[in-house]
Amino acid sequence: MGRAADTAGAGTVGAPANDVPAAGPAWPQAAAALFAKDLRAEMRTKVAVSAIGVFTLSALLLIGLATATLKGAQIPIPQSDLTRPAWDPAGKMALLWVLLCFAAFTGLAHAFVHEEEAGTSLALRLSMPAGAVYAGKLAFNLALIFAVALVATPLYMLITGMPSGPPPVFLLVMLGGCAGLAAAATIVAALAAKARGTGALYSALGLPILFVFLALLLNAAKTLYASPQPVLDVVKAVGGLFSYGLLLITVSALTFGFIWEE
Amino acid sequence: MTTAQTQPPLTGSPQPPPLHPQPAGLKGAAWKWGMGLLMCYVIYGAFFIAKNAIGFVGDSARIIFFHVPCAVLSSIAYFVAAAYAGLYLFSSHPTKRFHLDLDAKAAAAMELGFVFCILATVTGSVFAGMQWGTFWNWDPREISIVGMLLLYAAYLVLRSAGGEQPDKRARLTTVYILITLIPTVFLIWVVPRIQALQSLHPTSVLANPKNTSAAYKEVLYPSFLAFILLFTWLFQLRFRLYKLANKVASR
Repeated sequence: MGRAADTAGAGTVGAPANDVPAAGPAWPQAAAALFAKDLRAEMRTKVAVSAIGVFTLSALLLIGLATATLKGAQIPIPQSDLTRPAWDPAGKMALLWVLLCFAAFTGLAHAFVHEEEAGTSLALRLSMPAGAVYAGKLAFNLALIFAVALVATPLYMLITGMPSGPPPVFLLVMLGGCAGLAAAATIVAALAAKARGTGALYSALGLPILFVFLALLLNAAKTLYASPQPVLDVVKAVGGLFSYGLLLITVSALTFGFIWEE
Repeated sequence: MTTAQTQPPLTGSPQPPPLHPQPAGLKGAAWKWGMGLLMCYVIYGAFFIAKNAIGFVGDSARIIFFHVPCAVLSSIAYFVAAAYAGLYLFSSHPTKRFHLDLDAKAAAAMELGFVFCILATVTGSVFAGMQWGTFWNWDPREISIVGMLLLYAAYLVLRSAGGEQPDKRARLTTVYILITLIPTVFLIWVVPRIQALQSLHPTSVLANPKNTSAAYKEVLYPSFLAFILLFTWLFQLRFRLYKLANKVASR
């Protein structure tokens, strides 16, 4: 592959690498093709899905078990002599997102790491512009985190008794959360794959970015479960969540080329 | 890989400056002596000029002469680093030379920011312990400062894992600075305004000049100047060390 690249590039020494695929597919098609490729590869091996799935399930059960034995703040379950932990629903929502953040950071590195491990990143670099690679990987990670949230959230609600609040607002908060999480996880995966010591490094680089994100989610959750719910507060909380994800995606798209091109 | 062959060497200018720059001499070092004297004045003033503030437990308010400049500098350092990171990335076109000096300046700012961030966190926590009876209560300002501490630490982790090639490490770390600028901006300006998190932090007290006595201003303003000069000096020293390290690595 290296020899082929050298001979192909011999005529255009010094040309920026993103000029190479001029004859290749257009940008959105390239991104869609990459997304489909990743999806097909994932369906074949199910490495990321199974890793995140098992992690999320065990973490869910761990949280359920840990909170079931909490002493002190217990409230009775109606028509029974059992009790459950008395957290406020926003606290439960925050804990769900802690779980999803950790779940994302166990599996989403796969998107870039497997390209480096299989030695296919050079082929990818030659066949499409950096922007398309970023868009394709972001779409794949977004799909993956949606799938995880779709399964984990109802289970979590079942185990901890977290209410949903008004469904439209709940959906917006979950969507904004997934977008921010995928945005942070994708660019950090690209960084970690290029640096040494991928596994631990990925979480070390990613979780600090999610620290402030969790504060925004906490704010959104407080708004979600507030009993008089002014529309302005909802717009502020959900807008803050989405703006964080969109800003991360914008800066990532601007800087991804510097990580991707050698 | 073709780009690496066409580029000039990564470090070293056409006329390499001497490895050991001339000492600045007494004249050039005047501002450093000034900084030292100013810092002595600030320490004296914090204990003997300023009186105990109303509404603050005991002597706790005196910490502002050290805590507030540290906190402000830890924020400024991130923006200094981001400016150099942006300059590094967007000037490192394949046809131009890579400016490793810019990366070194960004790294120096990040390291100093980390140090000042630790100082701000520790002094803030001491104040919280005296004033509110708990060293940590997840006040929005505490969330901000500890969030920045995490980002600074993550940068240093990435820098140590960035590999042997200076230009590759520089690219990865400067990209990380620019990406983490988003959480930093949110930590500094958004988190303290989140309604769900109620703050006890006396920012609003300090923001109004009427609340601050003349004696406090006499010490606080020189304290800002002294800390900025200290930061500048440390920044120069750290940058020179990085430059020497780059030079040694390229030999």
